[in-house]
Amino acid sequence: MFYWSIKTLFSEPIRLLASVLAIAISFILVIFFSAVFEGESDQMVIYFDKVDADIWVMQKGVSNMHMASSMLWDWKVDKISQINEVEDVAAILYLNGPVKIAGKNWFSYIIGITPEYSRAGPWSTIQGKSIPGKGEAIIPEVIAKLSGIRIGDVLALVDRKLRIVGLTRNTFSMASSLVFVSRADLADVLKGSDQYSYIMVYAKTGANHHQLKNRIEEEVDKVNVLTADEFIKNDKQLAVQMGVEIVNMMRILGTLLATLIVAFTGYSLIIRKKQELAIAKALGFKNWQMYSTVLFQSLILSLLGLILALIISFGLLARLPDFVPQINLSIQLHQFTFILIFIFPIASIASIIAARSIVKLDPVIVFQN
Amino acid sequence: MTSTKPILKAIELKKTFGQAKSIVHAVENVSLEIYPGELVLIMGPSGSGKTTLLSMLGALLQANSGEIYINDSDIALMNESDLANLRAQKIGFIFQAFNLMEALTVEENILFPAQLGVDKGKNAKQRLAILLERLGLISRRKALPNTLSGGEKQRVAIARALINKPDIIFADEPTGNLDSHKGQEVMMILHDIARDDGCAVLMVTHDPRVEEIADRILWLEDGQIRDRKSEQHDWVKDPVCGMRVDSWSAIYKTDYEQRKLVFCSSRCLERFTKEPNKYVVTEL
Repeated sequence: MFYWSIKTLFSEPIRLLASVLAIAISFILVIFFSAVFEGESDQMVIYFDKVDADIWVMQKGVSNMHMASSMLWDWKVDKISQINEVEDVAAILYLNGPVKIAGKNWFSYIIGITPEYSRAGPWSTIQGKSIPGKGEAIIPEVIAKLSGIRIGDVLALVDRKLRIVGLTRNTFSMASSLVFVSRADLADVLKGSDQYSYIMVYAKTGANHHQLKNRIEEEVDKVNVLTADEFIKNDKQLAVQMGVEIVNMMRILGTLLATLIVAFTGYSLIIRKKQELAIAKALGFKNWQMYSTVLFQSLILSLLGLILALIISFGLLARLPDFVPQINLSIQLHQFTFILIFIFPIASIASIIAARSIVKLDPVIVFQN
Repeated sequence: MTSTKPILKAIELKKTFGQAKSIVHAVENVSLEIYPGELVLIMGPSGSGKTTLLSMLGALLQANSGEIYINDSDIALMNESDLANLRAQKIGFIFQAFNLMEALTVEENILFPAQLGVDKGKNAKQRLAILLERLGLISRRKALPNTLSGGEKQRVAIARALINKPDIIFADEPTGNLDSHKGQEVMMILHDIARDDGCAVLMVTHDPRVEEIADRILWLEDGQIRDRKSEQHDWVKDPVCGMRVDSWSAIYKTDYEQRKLVFCSSRCLERFTKEPNKYVVTEL
């Protein structure tokens, strides 16, 4: 019967392809939402990855950056830089809020930097300046493309206008893009000319990061000190908390859609092959053998759908950001593992209706001419 | 080759469809015995209950009352699984519409039920080779059903029915979709199976040509087995193939130019419908 089921499936290649394609599309939906979510989550912490500090220092009670506010007196930067195990420090002033470009608000991480701490600035400038001066701003190229603006145009930060002097790559995120301004401008906005928000600490080679972290906490008052791993983890967790429900819902919807398509395909196959199934029943095949066949067909369809989804995802979906630059995608194998785990339940559930039809199938129809 | 012990025994079988005023007595108190090596025909007018009776005897349809024994086993005492085993191992089916699996080749079709046999298909390949040879299908072994002629399809169906060495074969109008020549060929194969293999063959048919090779004929009328009256024969000539056909029991009929014409098979009727003038002129 298994051989029959395979040959029957492959004897109608166009129908098979249509079914597999439909299943693949529903799987791609699941993969797409997961990839967008993971791409966005990665993008939310890309700044931390790129500045590559060993330790992050922030205001006491603050433990992340996304949608947070932190204020530290500027003397704390000097104090930290004097600690033995510290190789270098960089400090930024930071605001999480909208920047108005060409009439549209872009929710951004607004980073106020000074030339002194240039390592906290943009890491991939594709056009213009790398460090903004007073009255200047550096924005992601994606925003420039989407807004149709160029270097020399103006953006609005709260109540002031800043001239765009540089464009950066890999700094755009739907949740929070990176906009670099001068510390002086941001200090004016925040009324904090003697303050920083975050201090990045670079440890000397061989220094123990945890010991250094404790040392900073001992030496500097009212600060929260985190290793880079802890800091990134906190921000990523926040991103997950914000998006996981939506992504899970999308995953469930995609999985349900795939189940429906597999069920429909299996059921339509049974309707079309009703006579042959009746013959099989008349010849002595049992209900469970025929149900196994339908389940097997559903599994094959689902697996073929997954393989096609894999090919399309890695081949085409991965290129989507080239055409839609505002999308950050991270396609990972574990997203397929999720589907792979669910394939058997999908095939089983999808086969239930078909199984009921088989049980009800009257073998006497074989006598109908 | 007949034995004294019946392979199939039915006692007082009854089957009705519908309820109250719309009740139809499809089979009414039918009793019969079929012995190994016998070729028995069930004949009768359309709607007389032949296929219903065959379905019950083939363990595909449950009777309202009565008993059916196949090899002394009462099928009423069997569950679904036992009945499936019985059909797979003791019974072979041949249908008017051939009922082959479209996606499978000739040899795959023949082997299709082999795994359900007593030996779980262990000697199936050997039997396949013998059947292909015997039924003249060797050159067509890799062909798909849609490339076969009607006669070839029916020979494949016969081979499939024989692959598990059944004790009895139930054939429902096996020549109904074949022209007279192919039909004759199929009948002779079934006759040989009964004579040489000792396999009982119970055949529902309208085809009067089969009568000559049958051991017995059971006449079913209004769901009951009755004596066949001689005046119920009305032999006429099939205008297409010239075969002798009993117009009383024939099912392939048509009216043409105020004449009633009778055909031996659907194939002849189709041919006539396409070019009626050709055959009417010939007859005149």
